[in-house]
Amino acid sequence: MHYLRLIRSFIDVAFQNALAYRINFWVSLLHSILDLGTGILALMVLFSQVEAIRGWTLPATLALLGTYLLLGALRRLFIGPSLEALAGMDGEIWVGTFDFTLLRPVNVQFLASVRTWQPLAVLDLLLGAVVLLTASLRLGRALALVQVLYFIVTLLAAVAILYALLLAFSALVFWSPGLLFTWLFNALFQMARYPVGLYPGWLRLVLTWVVPVGVMTTVPAQALAGGLSLGMLLGSLGLAGGLFCGASLLFRTGLRRYASASS
Amino acid sequence: MLEPQIVVRGLSKTYRVPERNPGVGAALRSLIQRSYRSVEAVRDVSFNVAAGEVVGFIGPNGAGKTTTLKMLSGLLHPTAGEVVVMGEVPWERRPAYLRRISMVLGNKSQMLWDIPPLDSFRLLGEIYSVPPAQFRETLDELVALLELAPLLSKPVRTLSLGERMKCELVAGLLHRPAVLFLDEPTLGLDVSTQGRLRRFLGAYNRRNDVTMILTSHYMADVVALCPRVILIHHGILLYDGELDGLAHTLAPFKLIRVGLSSASQCALDLPGGVELLQRTNGSLALRVARELAPRITAQLLNTLPVVDLSVEDPPIEAVIDQIYQGDGDQEARL
Amino acid sequence: MNLRGGWALIQRTWLSWLQHRSFFFLLAFGWMVPPLIYLFVWSTAAGAGTAGGLRRGEFVAYYLVLILVNQLTYSQTNWTVGDTIRHGGMNTLLLRPLSPIFDALASELAGKVVYMAFVLPVTAGLALILRPELQVTLQGGLAFVPTLAMAWALRFFWGYALALLAFWATRADALLAVQDALIFLLAGQVAPIRLLPAPLHQVAVILPFRYMLGFPVEVLTGQLETDGLPTGLALQLGWLLVALVLFSMLWRAGVRRYAAVGG
Repeated sequence: MHYLRLIRSFIDVAFQNALAYRINFWVSLLHSILDLGTGILALMVLFSQVEAIRGWTLPATLALLGTYLLLGALRRLFIGPSLEALAGMDGEIWVGTFDFTLLRPVNVQFLASVRTWQPLAVLDLLLGAVVLLTASLRLGRALALVQVLYFIVTLLAAVAILYALLLAFSALVFWSPGLLFTWLFNALFQMARYPVGLYPGWLRLVLTWVVPVGVMTTVPAQALAGGLSLGMLLGSLGLAGGLFCGASLLFRTGLRRYASASS
Repeated sequence: MLEPQIVVRGLSKTYRVPERNPGVGAALRSLIQRSYRSVEAVRDVSFNVAAGEVVGFIGPNGAGKTTTLKMLSGLLHPTAGEVVVMGEVPWERRPAYLRRISMVLGNKSQMLWDIPPLDSFRLLGEIYSVPPAQFRETLDELVALLELAPLLSKPVRTLSLGERMKCELVAGLLHRPAVLFLDEPTLGLDVSTQGRLRRFLGAYNRRNDVTMILTSHYMADVVALCPRVILIHHGILLYDGELDGLAHTLAPFKLIRVGLSSASQCALDLPGGVELLQRTNGSLALRVARELAPRITAQLLNTLPVVDLSVEDPPIEAVIDQIYQGDGDQEARL
Repeated sequence: MNLRGGWALIQRTWLSWLQHRSFFFLLAFGWMVPPLIYLFVWSTAAGAGTAGGLRRGEFVAYYLVLILVNQLTYSQTNWTVGDTIRHGGMNTLLLRPLSPIFDALASELAGKVVYMAFVLPVTAGLALILRPELQVTLQGGLAFVPTLAMAWALRFFWGYALALLAFWATRADALLAVQDALIFLLAGQVAPIRLLPAPLHQVAVILPFRYMLGFPVEVLTGQLETDGLPTGLALQLGWLLVALVLFSMLWRAGVRRYAAVGG
């Protein structure tokens, strides 16, 4: 309960922050539209040359793009800004104000993960939803309820994976404060724009097992397009749970290290 | 004698820091292999603090004050030794402990930059689960004491450094901590703001019986606030006791100032063990060993046309400066 | 011209960059990823046959060269100039007996060296794995160097001119984001220009963005139509002149405004 109230307070503050710079609304809208536009145009260019790649048609790939945009939006909504405020450039570890966070009588991981919100990301959330809706209409057949259900479950698993990966990458900052690990993740995350099946074998393995960004978008898109096995569903849930625990552990180890090494 | 609130026994902290020589070659070498050296920031420090005490940590830059403070607050694990604050081990950082302490850092801000202080305060109230009624009451009290009311609704980024520091203090005190750690709270402030903050801290201590541990480079802070000081140098505790005793222990000298009636150019025949610091037409300033002071004073009164004479301890800044500048460099001018 | 001061500045910049090499390697990695994604997507699309008339190996060659050219022509100083202006850092720069353009050039030069130290081995490694098909004609090889140099100059001055708008508008960096999106679409990243659908293709040929990136790549990989080289060179040169004029006009007006308003 206390934690839910805290989240509400953080969102309140975020709204005030957003209102402090009104021009950012337009800039943010511009970015969202550019991101969406280039994404869709890139797909159009690709599918103007080929019918389907490795079984992925334009609507199915569009569904994947929608998932990608949705995940990206969720990330921008709170996971990204919160962890950026911790580990990014001008982040607390960089600037040294992390001390205050450590002194709060609240779970540090919780605090570090939900502290900063970007209300404008709701725009991206909407745009992503529109793309998903368009894609499902163009998939050409009525969606079964179970497909939608699978999609929602795998999307939630994807959010958990995204969070766990970002947390793990941010926690690396405790070992090497000068490195912007979130940048590295940014770069890898972009690969989730396309189905993992389009990448060569070795990269597919990396994107599935080492840094499973591929799983995040491919599995939900498959759920929507109707090519998801029960094994994949359970697999992505298991992966989400495992990564979440692993990342939390890494974060805690990093905290201990910070407390014994910082000056 | 009450059970001490803070107990520190044999506290030590050693850091490993990377080393690199200047130049391109060294930069390239450090790509491959980093060399480290250990720095003993704090060595075997022990002391107790009773509830409601105000203690000043003094010592030059890099002496280990901030490291000690961070270990007391739970931000750092020590390499060796133990600390117990109100029955808790700080670096376990249990919420129950964290709710009873607070830290204010003069060079770092916990205020949110783009929104008014009031909103930062509310958020902190939520984080520390301060009951609403108590929150209002504490805030009103602090705002009144610090005369903050007109600033509460301005974005923090538009506030001056002094105004911001006042806000930092409010932020640190909202949850009514029993122990307050202050690291350079008056850093960079103008003299009158410094004075106002000092008066506030003193009044707050008396009123709420809060234990305060303070580090500062401004001796005025320490003189005004801390009946007791702990001097740390090179990580070692050099002195722990009353501020007045510091000079006794560390600077075994007295300053004697003498005013002379005539602009007499009388030949000065100073007894042994006396050093002439300054001589103008009408006055002398002398430095003598503490135990010789009474005898020399009597001698001066007998031999010179004295109209005015005072015997003083050397100013505290000078004593500190002497320690900072060099280990036992007794020649430092007072 | 203060060449000695300029050289000292370059040395110092380079030294400080070397210290943060991991940071810049990360940046370089981040810039490599989008073209890399399209490399994989297009070579998968071509498979054993062709896509849009290009074989798999030709796509690999095209994108590997593009990664190098992109790294060589991308000027991140364009982003820092805006920040410098906004945060009042111009004061210090204008006080020095050295034109601020040297600062940009210094970090350009230092940057290229550091980035190449990362990008060259990586692309070489990728070339070994992915087996590009590249036949360089004498004409193509000869024309590549000047087109590359002009592409860099065009991208640098064009971006710098846009960044100078920060003298007038606080969020001028939004324009840089638009430019990046346009380069992504129209400069040959999403697909080689000739694969773009008809209206987009014409637009891409006329606008300056292709000449900042895609054009030298096409020249080297021999993808130009018969009369493509002279027209392309003419357009590149034309846009470069436009960029130079724009830059010097904005610079003069900007500094005058800066002096008048007082930053």
